[in-house]
Amino acid sequence: MSAGAALALPPAAPPARPRVLLVGTALAAAASVMAIVGLVGVYLAQRALVLHDGAPWLPDGASLPLTPANVAMGTMLLSAVTMWWAVDSVGRNDRPGAYLALGITMVFGIAVINSVSVEMARSAIPVSTTMGLLFYTINALGIAMIIAGLAYAAVMTFRTLGGEYQGRDREGLVAASLFWYVTIAVQAVIWYAIFVTK
Amino acid sequence: MAVTDTPPETVEAAAAEASEPRPLTTGLAAVIGSGDHKVIGRMYIVASLILGALVLGLGAGVAFESTTPATLELFPSDFAYSLFTLARLGGLFLVAFPLVIGISLVVVPLQVGARSVAFPRAAAASFWGWLLGSILLLVAYGTHGGPGGTGAKAIDLWTAAMMLIVLSLLLAAISLATTVLALRTNGMTLARVPLFAWSVMVAAVMWLLTLPVLFGHLVLMYVDHRRAGSILIGGSSQIFPAMGWLLRNPQVYVVAIPVLGFIADVAINLSGSRIHSRSAARVGITLFGVLSFGAFMVFPTQKVLDSPIVVVPAILAVVPLLAVAATVADAGRRAARFNAPVAYAGVAFLVLLLGVVAGAIGSIPGVLDAPKDATTSANIFFIGVGNAVLFAAVIAALGGATWWATKVGGRPAGDAVGIVAALVLLAGAVVATIPDMVSGITGSGAELIGDYRGGVEVFNWATLGGFGIFAVGLVLAVFSLARSMSAPEEGEEDDSPADPWGGQTLEWLTASPPPLENFDGELAVVRSAEPLIDLQEEK
Repeated sequence: MSAGAALALPPAAPPARPRVLLVGTALAAAASVMAIVGLVGVYLAQRALVLHDGAPWLPDGASLPLTPANVAMGTMLLSAVTMWWAVDSVGRNDRPGAYLALGITMVFGIAVINSVSVEMARSAIPVSTTMGLLFYTINALGIAMIIAGLAYAAVMTFRTLGGEYQGRDREGLVAASLFWYVTIAVQAVIWYAIFVTK
Repeated sequence: MAVTDTPPETVEAAAAEASEPRPLTTGLAAVIGSGDHKVIGRMYIVASLILGALVLGLGAGVAFESTTPATLELFPSDFAYSLFTLARLGGLFLVAFPLVIGISLVVVPLQVGARSVAFPRAAAASFWGWLLGSILLLVAYGTHGGPGGTGAKAIDLWTAAMMLIVLSLLLAAISLATTVLALRTNGMTLARVPLFAWSVMVAAVMWLLTLPVLFGHLVLMYVDHRRAGSILIGGSSQIFPAMGWLLRNPQVYVVAIPVLGFIADVAINLSGSRIHSRSAARVGITLFGVLSFGAFMVFPTQKVLDSPIVVVPAILAVVPLLAVAATVADAGRRAARFNAPVAYAGVAFLVLLLGVVAGAIGSIPGVLDAPKDATTSANIFFIGVGNAVLFAAVIAALGGATWWATKVGGRPAGDAVGIVAALVLLAGAVVATIPDMVSGITGSGAELIGDYRGGVEVFNWATLGGFGIFAVGLVLAVFSLARSMSAPEEGEEDDSPADPWGGQTLEWLTASPPPLENFDGELAVVRSAEPLIDLQEEK
């Protein structure tokens, strides 16, 4: 059968799909979740082993105050609202609203990065302990995910407002917001597993 | 005008720029800068075969080391362990994964009627990232890095190279899964997706759920080694046991999921008729994928390995193979044909069945003794299991390159040589894997150790022979495929039919080799899982 046979039937209408970026983002987000949640699993398993032996998990002299972690988590939750606001603004062709919402989301994200970094620096947990090693690695990966989420959202917002997507066709920003919501969920897991239950 | 609309002057300028003909890139630049999934797939195939020869040679060398450890040392003892880990990890990350990805990148977009792979630049980045990572990995081993190595900086380089390889493979997985999920042509529902494309989608999703756990683990290893004094992992000799879960069942099955899709696709297409039991194969492939999830085995203890969460999937994994076999038997009843792809498919199935059945038996608590050596976490039996699965993946990928030779290279592969190659590969895989399994069952002491020091000597000789036979089979396979990659000589007729097999899926509709955008003209709406049969019936 020759290539010309492809023309044997009337051509199909363009596919109504594709939402390629959204699907790809969902897969990338799932992979990111597995990377960090896998490490949280190791953290919990190691902690259970240490506590089972009757030894303290938090090294002597180290502290892990909950208040800054709670504030950071609250800020992340608020950023979910502002991200939704940005998506909604683009859908209504509200350029100032979209810029404002994205700006606030970025400020929130940077504030969380700052908060977690300060907490890591002040905790005085030696990295040469099992707890310290996992604490710094997991939080560093969490921060990396926040940075990736912010960069993705910024790029997609500018591309949308630049005309690549229009009005209700805002797949890029919806995809970026999906990644951001997953980032918030991952931060919630880290917050509960490391800071709340210590 | 809405605020998000593009200003008219911008559109005009862009249109004027786009209408200017751009010079066509040719030569090396066309290859290096290509985002064409067929070019990227070919590069993956060629590079992984080159690295495969290296890994196979190392495997044979390490097997030789295990035959006469006291009398003749091929490598210094501290280096032998490192090379053993390179042969094992290289078999997975430098050969099996990229070979399967290479075939998938060429074929999957064609099968689902897509104009290109999803995220073509990401797919290209995945190849170059993987290649760079592989080179850095070899450099790290060469400078005494890697498991058992002594060079601190080289060990860090090894970890970073592994991270790069894993990230690159993840990019390819995202491209492939998204292609099947979001770029299917009109009318091609998920139920109508060809079984190979379906199996690649299932495999890609499983890679995305398990390889990131390895990535996180590698980051932890890097920080542990560089900053924490190896407090968690231990010394460099403990790196490989910590990664042992990748090469053990059920996790190692993730690389072999597309094997089932290839086998089913060959059988169904050659049957020339609609096979309604293909649903059984689809369910079987999906179930095999689900059962292959083994990311929970990071830092495994014997208690975890003996727990139902490992044992039950290992035993159940045999069932999906039987489901696929039932579909293949159903298709075979309609029209029995024997050619090189059928030989490869049969051989890949047998070798995979060997690995999965042996894995099921070995996973039953109490069947095998655990090695007493603290530096290993596995009985040598599981080296045989892991190698069987990797061999199956490589054989199926070579079979795929033969089956889709007119799409991969442009011309049909040599059939007679292909049949011989498949049979030699079967002999090599069986002789290289069963002796390790027998050593694991019959051994009682040091011979149970899951690295080059283990095994009963006479069986180790057999393993060495098996690697040699497999290498011969690989050479024969490459020889049969070389014809498909070469251009017709002057005066020679270009015998490149679009559909050499009387196939039923969309890849057989397009020319050989396929054009840049895969299909000339618009595709008709797909109305069943056998669109080419539909076209024939409508004529």
